[in-house]
Amino acid sequence: MTKQPDFIPTSKFLDELRRYQKGSVSRRHFLGVTGLGMAAAVLGGAVPGLRPRKAYAGLSGTLNFTTWPSYFAQENLDNFTKNTGVKINVAVFGSNEEMLAKLQAGSTGWDVFVPTNYAISTYKDLNLIQPIDLARLPNYDPATQEQRFTAEGIIDGQVWAVPKDWGTTGYTYNSKAMSQKPTTWKEFWDLTRNEATGRVMVHDYQLTTIGNALKYFGYSFNSNDPKELGEAEKLLIEAKPHLFGINSDYKPSLIAGDAWMSVCWTGDAVQLQRDMPEFVYVLAKEGGEIWSDFYAITKDAPNPDAAYAFIDYILTPQINAVEVQAHGYPSPDSRTNKLVPKEMLDNPVLYPAAEALSPLEFGAAATLTNPLRAEIMARFKAA
Amino acid sequence: MNLFMYQLHRGVVGEVDSVIEFRKVTKRFGDVVAVADNDLAVMPGEFLSILGPSGCGKTTSLRMMAGFEQPTSGEVFIRGANVTGVPAYRRPVNMVFQHYALFPHLAVSANVSYGLRQRSPKPAAAEIARAVDEALAMVRLSGYGQRRIHELSGGQQQRVALARALINRPAVLLLDEPLAALDRKLRRDMQIELQNLQRDVGITFLLVTHDQEEALSMSDRVCVMREGRIVQTGSPRELYDRPVSRYVADFVGKTNFFKGPSAGEVLSIRPELIDIAASEAELPAGVSARFSVKVLNRIFLGEHTEYVVAHARLGEFMVMAPRKTERHAGLYEIGEMIAAGWRPEAERILPND
Amino acid sequence: MTRSAGRPQILTAALLAPAVLLFAVMLLAPLLVIVVFAFGERAPAGGYAAAFTFDNFLNLPARGKAFINTLTLAPIGTLLTAVIAFPVAYFLALRCDPKWRVTLLVLVMAPFWTSQLLRYYAWIMLLGAKGVPAWLSYLGFPDIRIINTPWAVLIGAVYGYLPLMVPPIYVSLEKLDKRLLEASSDLGATPLRSFLQVTLPLALPGVATGAMLVFILLMGDYILPQYLGGGKVFFIGNALVDLFLQSRNWPYGAAVSLALVAIMFVTILVYMRFVLGGSGQRRVALV
Repeated sequence: MTKQPDFIPTSKFLDELRRYQKGSVSRRHFLGVTGLGMAAAVLGGAVPGLRPRKAYAGLSGTLNFTTWPSYFAQENLDNFTKNTGVKINVAVFGSNEEMLAKLQAGSTGWDVFVPTNYAISTYKDLNLIQPIDLARLPNYDPATQEQRFTAEGIIDGQVWAVPKDWGTTGYTYNSKAMSQKPTTWKEFWDLTRNEATGRVMVHDYQLTTIGNALKYFGYSFNSNDPKELGEAEKLLIEAKPHLFGINSDYKPSLIAGDAWMSVCWTGDAVQLQRDMPEFVYVLAKEGGEIWSDFYAITKDAPNPDAAYAFIDYILTPQINAVEVQAHGYPSPDSRTNKLVPKEMLDNPVLYPAAEALSPLEFGAAATLTNPLRAEIMARFKAA
Repeated sequence: MNLFMYQLHRGVVGEVDSVIEFRKVTKRFGDVVAVADNDLAVMPGEFLSILGPSGCGKTTSLRMMAGFEQPTSGEVFIRGANVTGVPAYRRPVNMVFQHYALFPHLAVSANVSYGLRQRSPKPAAAEIARAVDEALAMVRLSGYGQRRIHELSGGQQQRVALARALINRPAVLLLDEPLAALDRKLRRDMQIELQNLQRDVGITFLLVTHDQEEALSMSDRVCVMREGRIVQTGSPRELYDRPVSRYVADFVGKTNFFKGPSAGEVLSIRPELIDIAASEAELPAGVSARFSVKVLNRIFLGEHTEYVVAHARLGEFMVMAPRKTERHAGLYEIGEMIAAGWRPEAERILPND
Repeated sequence: MTRSAGRPQILTAALLAPAVLLFAVMLLAPLLVIVVFAFGERAPAGGYAAAFTFDNFLNLPARGKAFINTLTLAPIGTLLTAVIAFPVAYFLALRCDPKWRVTLLVLVMAPFWTSQLLRYYAWIMLLGAKGVPAWLSYLGFPDIRIINTPWAVLIGAVYGYLPLMVPPIYVSLEKLDKRLLEASSDLGATPLRSFLQVTLPLALPGVATGAMLVFILLMGDYILPQYLGGGKVFFIGNALVDLFLQSRNWPYGAAVSLALVAIMFVTILVYMRFVLGGSGQRRVALV
């Protein structure tokens, strides 16, 4: 039961959709690449006649790669398949909770997936991931990584996941649609119940939705205090009738003009601004979430050799720089950053000033697995 | 000129006394002419059969009377009113369908009362109930009102179909091969029952059939059709005794055909009009044509015996011999030479169509 | 004698065995797991922990809104689908040129062959601010919102389930004995009355079959309310997705599933009692 049936990957669909909306591709092309992509998304596919490079000799079969929407460079995946002969099946998920539930249920067949910092210890405790042998990742250099984004991949000195990219969770609003210029979570929730009623979206998972409601009262993003959570629930249920939707896939509604304001990740904000500069990204003054995503290998990975080869390949600075430019999220690897265009490094959305970063919090493992938070989210959605 | 003559003149009414009338009715389906330029008048109270092989246009004619088909050209009159173009639900005729077409989702009584319930204004419930009881009694199905259709036998379904049509007191009851689905014994019973019913209710019956025995036994008049045309209309006896053509003689009853006086003609002699005897001398007086024939085959049928005999020049022909003409109350043997002959009035010269 | 009678029985058993096995494995085994889970407890990190408690069932009212939403929108959606499917099926079965019939039937089914996600995204665009509401605004009805409302879910339900509703109605109309309509007309019924008194009652088993199919699938749907309801129109299916995939409270999810299965079971019983029972008798007469 995936929330996003993987007939075609959502990211690819949305990319095509946007190109189509902008008029850069014909309707025929759009229908061709999306509507007819009925089978599972076998990306890249085997290209006959291309020999695997020597370094990847001996690889074969399929790599099952599970990630978030719009979160990879298609050309990188295609090249990997060309070089190794390994086909990549991409599945796209909406939340860490879903990924965890799926892995907990067993028999996923995944090789590589992309957990967020706070989820890693839970995966390790539930024995769902395998330790990473850094000797098999010659292109990954721990010394060039920013330490705060690698920390949660290392537990008791053992590496369990290697960093992919990092970002913040703020919100974005359409400055053409709204007269106010909000800068705080307080304004976000107040506008929701006022000028922007029916035009606001929040994520469809508890961590950020409850966390940012807690910020309204000045509490910690990671609070597990029942009293504080109770206040947050009250706010959420009050705001619910004023929301346009509860959906982590908020870009289409923002682009279409149905929604004016939404909780938003950095990369999405960059992608939105690329087409519609009127979207302003707000890293709220009270703080909020800073996070990093990792590559991890599942305990029962059917093709661990391909998994190592893929992670090593994708973290190679030249390759990773292409990734970063595609999805818009900064890498913690200084070698990669040197290869990223200067205007990207100067973008305050991606690389906020130190004082803007200081109030941000990493989500905690206990925040992810807290049953009370899960139940509050469920009550909010069912309200 | 009185009003009636005026209307007749203007074509407002048909013949004085016909209940249904076809005037120059033609029906084409694409290139196929199903009914060709027919005139037909059905008289009140009569039992008329349209007889012909399948594809002769008899069912199409019936469907044009019911209003399911409209003529390509020509006019249809019911009780003197021109109903050409009038749909079935506004015509005062009712039909008994070949496979009855009873409503499977309705009980027997609801099937029977269906026609009354379509009337505007709708009759009172008590009135409908009484009419249904009467109609069911008429077809000897009293007490079957609450039965479901699928619980009934074929014969019972046939009678429900009759009751459902007759309850409306139609100007004409149209019957489309109503007995075809019944077995032989039941068919015989229903033939008698239909005749009695028709006499009792006094409603005009118009029956379509391919079964000549059925048509001859039940009808006041029979209308023989061939390839869309009416070839002869008359009483069963007229058709049998004075067929207008080889086609009618062949279709109605059994007969022997011999070479006629000219190329376009045949000589028809009914097998029961041929006398046989042990020798030519023993043939009855008045028999003009006398032949010496050989018995080829013999079928004993009780009240009479059917012989196939052969004559050197005439060829094979059939003889129907009543018991009393047989020698010593016995039978002629196969291979035996006997004499056959007929009176001049048995001979019919018919167009060989 | 006994041997010859025994052999077909063994053959029958052998032929039925795969189906019975499949039925047991595919249907009964998961149901058994759900029943066991429903009496358990949520493990500290989510999932299932063995226990025997009725708490999960007693807590069902906490998802009351989801049940109410589902049990109002699913019947309305089913009804709307039937109302729209009937004329389509009627046209295909009784009015259209037989040479076009197969083509048109295939066209009715065609949306089924494209990705469900794609179709819902198309509707998100159509019902979103730049779609139908923009046209309505142009016609003088400003600020009408459709997407992420129950209306969008109903539109999606009709669109999504029409291909399931049309075929059973089509089949019941197609096998309808056309002579019954002639008989009705012959007995004085106008075309409208013939339709109401003959066509409609005889097509009802098909309508009921389609309605049952659609109703049961719609009750269990979570993708439709998720996409066209935007998380604001919350069905039991969405509650289940949340319970199994987000909060990982499997025992409570199992209890909610059982409640849903119970509702579906009752629906099927009602269908079999009132519709199949009636039409089973009719079928005998129709043949």
